[in-house]
Amino acid sequence: MPEGLHDFLLRLSSLFRKRMLDREMLEELEFHHTMLRDKMTREGLPHSEACIIAHRAFGNQARWHERLREVWQFQSFENLLRDVSFSARLLRKSLGFTIVAVSTLALGIGANTTIFSLINGLLLRPVEAPHSEQLTLIGTYQKSRGDRGLSYGFNAPYLRSLERLKQSGKLPFTDIFGYFGTLFQVRGNSGNEEIRSAFVSGQYFSGMQVAPLLGRYLTPQDDVPGGSSAGLAVVISEGFWQRWFNRSPDVIGHKLIIANKPFTVVGVMPKQFKGADPAQRPDLFAALADEPIIDAPYSMVNSGYHAWWLNIMARRQSGASIEQANAALAALTNVVIRDSSDAGFIKDALDDQTRFTAESGSRGFSYFRVMFEKPLEIVFAMCVGILLLACLNLTSLLMARSTARERELATRLALGATRRRLIQQLLIESVMIAVMGTAAGLGVAPVLSRMLAAMLLSAAGQRAQLDTSLDSRVLLFAALIAMITAILVGFVPALRATSGTLADQIKDGQYAKQSNQRKSLIPRVLMATEVCLALMLVVCAGLLATSVIRLYRVGPGFDPHGLVNLNFNMAKQPLEGDSLLRLYKQIGEGIEHQPGVKSVSFVQIVPLSGSDMTESYPDVHGQDQIVHANKIGPSYFQTMRIPILEGREFSWEDTKTNGSKIILDQTAATLLFPDRNAIGQQISYGKNQYQVVAIVGDAKYNDLRAAAPPTAYTPITQDSFSKGSYTAVVRLEGPAAPFATAARSLTTRLAPDIPVPVLTTMSGVLEDSIASERMMAILSVYFAFCALLVTGIGLYGTLSYATARRTSEIGIRMALGAQRAQVIGLVFRENAGIALVGSAAGVIAAYFASQVLASFLYGTSTHDPLVLGASVLALVTIACGASLLPALRAARIDPMAAIRCE
Amino acid sequence: MVREKEVDPGELIQGTLEMLILKALVRGPAHGYAIAEWIHLTSHQVLKVEEGALYPALHRLQLRGILSATWGASTNNRRAKFYQLTALGQKRLNAESQRWARLSAAVAFVMQAS
Repeated sequence: MPEGLHDFLLRLSSLFRKRMLDREMLEELEFHHTMLRDKMTREGLPHSEACIIAHRAFGNQARWHERLREVWQFQSFENLLRDVSFSARLLRKSLGFTIVAVSTLALGIGANTTIFSLINGLLLRPVEAPHSEQLTLIGTYQKSRGDRGLSYGFNAPYLRSLERLKQSGKLPFTDIFGYFGTLFQVRGNSGNEEIRSAFVSGQYFSGMQVAPLLGRYLTPQDDVPGGSSAGLAVVISEGFWQRWFNRSPDVIGHKLIIANKPFTVVGVMPKQFKGADPAQRPDLFAALADEPIIDAPYSMVNSGYHAWWLNIMARRQSGASIEQANAALAALTNVVIRDSSDAGFIKDALDDQTRFTAESGSRGFSYFRVMFEKPLEIVFAMCVGILLLACLNLTSLLMARSTARERELATRLALGATRRRLIQQLLIESVMIAVMGTAAGLGVAPVLSRMLAAMLLSAAGQRAQLDTSLDSRVLLFAALIAMITAILVGFVPALRATSGTLADQIKDGQYAKQSNQRKSLIPRVLMATEVCLALMLVVCAGLLATSVIRLYRVGPGFDPHGLVNLNFNMAKQPLEGDSLLRLYKQIGEGIEHQPGVKSVSFVQIVPLSGSDMTESYPDVHGQDQIVHANKIGPSYFQTMRIPILEGREFSWEDTKTNGSKIILDQTAATLLFPDRNAIGQQISYGKNQYQVVAIVGDAKYNDLRAAAPPTAYTPITQDSFSKGSYTAVVRLEGPAAPFATAARSLTTRLAPDIPVPVLTTMSGVLEDSIASERMMAILSVYFAFCALLVTGIGLYGTLSYATARRTSEIGIRMALGAQRAQVIGLVFRENAGIALVGSAAGVIAAYFASQVLASFLYGTSTHDPLVLGASVLALVTIACGASLLPALRAARIDPMAAIRCE
Repeated sequence: MVREKEVDPGELIQGTLEMLILKALVRGPAHGYAIAEWIHLTSHQVLKVEEGALYPALHRLQLRGILSATWGASTNNRRAKFYQLTALGQKRLNAESQRWARLSAAVAFVMQAS
């Protein structure tokens, strides 16, 4: 054991037996004393004399005892306590400085912790399952996907084939399973409710290896059409058990009505089990084989090889590596593909060099990971920038402040304090600032990250939920950055402040001839770096914000303001065909009579909601052209405020018997009929002949960033599908809240069987469709604002400290005839140089750094001169303002008073 | 910072005292008084170990794991604290005595130079 550790442990243990140790010390000394006395007596001295001589020889026993106690004390610990209380007093004394220092750090650390908890929740946290390192994520490589060529969506037959291959021992897995997060309609006390749920295949639970809290989990016996012999089974979460059954133990065997079918609750999963998708957290789990029952009539399982919807994961046998799994999957891919009976499908898949891949699945898989990984990394980089900025700023301020304390420190050095001790004390000060900053940052981080997560996932609505709570990893991260910060911030100033000798200090003192140049390089470099960093942040923010503003300005081709959507889910009610259309008509008329409603229509795919549908129609030359398709109700274009360039809207009279009608947007019209007016033309599609009845303005379909695609609209009244679920689009004047209540009561009256429609605003849909861009823009603008503020404070603080030290010099200059303007110039120049150098460096750095943003920018060059110019201007303005104040103050110095101070 | 101090010829600077304590314990466990006596006698009564220096040194060595301590009975049947070399202490003593031999030889060379 190293001596230091032995020492520490023994001292530590002594703390717990202080009294006994004390007694032993006394006894030991007493023994020595006695032995001395005995020796004297043996040498023939009379007892009383022996006592006196022994006492004199031994010296002051109480003093020796005290010395022994000191040996056992924690010297450094007690020094530490003294330093802490001293630093606390100092920090209290200069409250303004402390507040600025703590709040800048809180800003930096809070921002970092917030983003890190998001990254942690989405990208880092392992799945709540034993041996999660054995979990493997299965992907597909396809040549046609380009780039890395990987995708993670699978069809159900692939999964079944893989299950069979695993069963025959050809794959190094103990379990292989698929899952899909969705919403189930569950009958509650007040009609159907939508509950976050997941379809899981038979080996899902045995693969996750989490024991149920109650009952049993789903097994392969449940994952067969119609369920096991005991019927359809469902597993519920502990949270759902709490909310719906009040933790009643007899929940097992209870029937739940899901999608109008009775399911038996067979088990309850514990709270810590969140499933394999970090952004899902399902409340209900049903077997994959039950999907056709629950999702009828839109079953993905029944769509067979053409529905790419499942995520597949597997648990590797212990000892099997990812490389082995990868090789086994790659070798068996063609076997899986050939299980299909569709020759065309097999040929396409083989031509595309389809290959299954394995990668670590210890962190589960979420679709949002693919979507937000890059934006989160960029935002995190900005956060690190902000933290660095806060550190630089604090270092500069501490350094400026400690020059004011140089005299005190030099005196203490001269009086015998060691340099190490002084540095320790100065570091404690910065550690205390860092600890306070971290505490403040940690206080706000959970609230902020929850808000951000909600903003990011709002497009997924009820289906997604991300746990961003502070776990040990986030706390460790915060502690780590706090420590690094404290050392970064405190060390340089502490080293520099303790480097002077008293003689120099006394010589320099307050005198005017102070050597300014000697020490001023480091602070200048620090401040210039700060300016450079701030400029980079401002440029990035400017680019992102400009891009989002341009996105909004370009607009979607319709007017989203005052437009609300009500989605009607008709899949689980009895009406269909014409009678269902009559219900829609009734609902439409009912809505139209609500106060504030200007017009109403129906649409199958709400623009920019993320879904799309395409058809291929022949153009005039008989060539097939791919056109985006949508199904709409009467007066759709009036409601959306999409201009009708020619022709008419659909009406309720456009029934199936009246001949198929179609409306094209401008792009589709020129695509299909480049040489003639499309109105009245026929388009043949299958056995149908569509007649073009109108040409309308272009509107964005599923991506605000892309140009409007060619789009063809067909009426819902001629939909070949008899049980369509459409969304009502409503043009409102006035607030949406009273309308929402009215619409809900209207629906329960007209269609009691369907779930209460969810009301969304079109502006919300639009914002959700650019959620990551919006998040990046909002955050970066906020960061840029903070960066400007922090830099301003830094420039102001360091200059005013420096100027305060030059009071007498300036006084003499003024006494010798310097004009006020000259004094202002003198002080101002100091910062002007820093700001200039920093800005120049910042422009160059930003020029290169902004490249990473390129893929997030819409209609904005990464070198947009306007943004660059405006950023430099903003920074220069702030720098000028921050420098002018100390300069003006310097110009007000009274020469007489200043010189008399000497 | 090293502060100069008046040095009594019989007083030992700390490093040397520690070495002597270790040496005294080579023959087996001993209590503080016996150590002081042994050093005093073996040095032909030249070196006198101050109690105020001896016990802090002993305790420091114990804290660093160079000595271990147990309570036992002394020859006259009194309870006393006996110190003993640990393995680490043995190693330290070897290193120290080599260092000392080199040092004293070097000093001797210098002093014998004519």
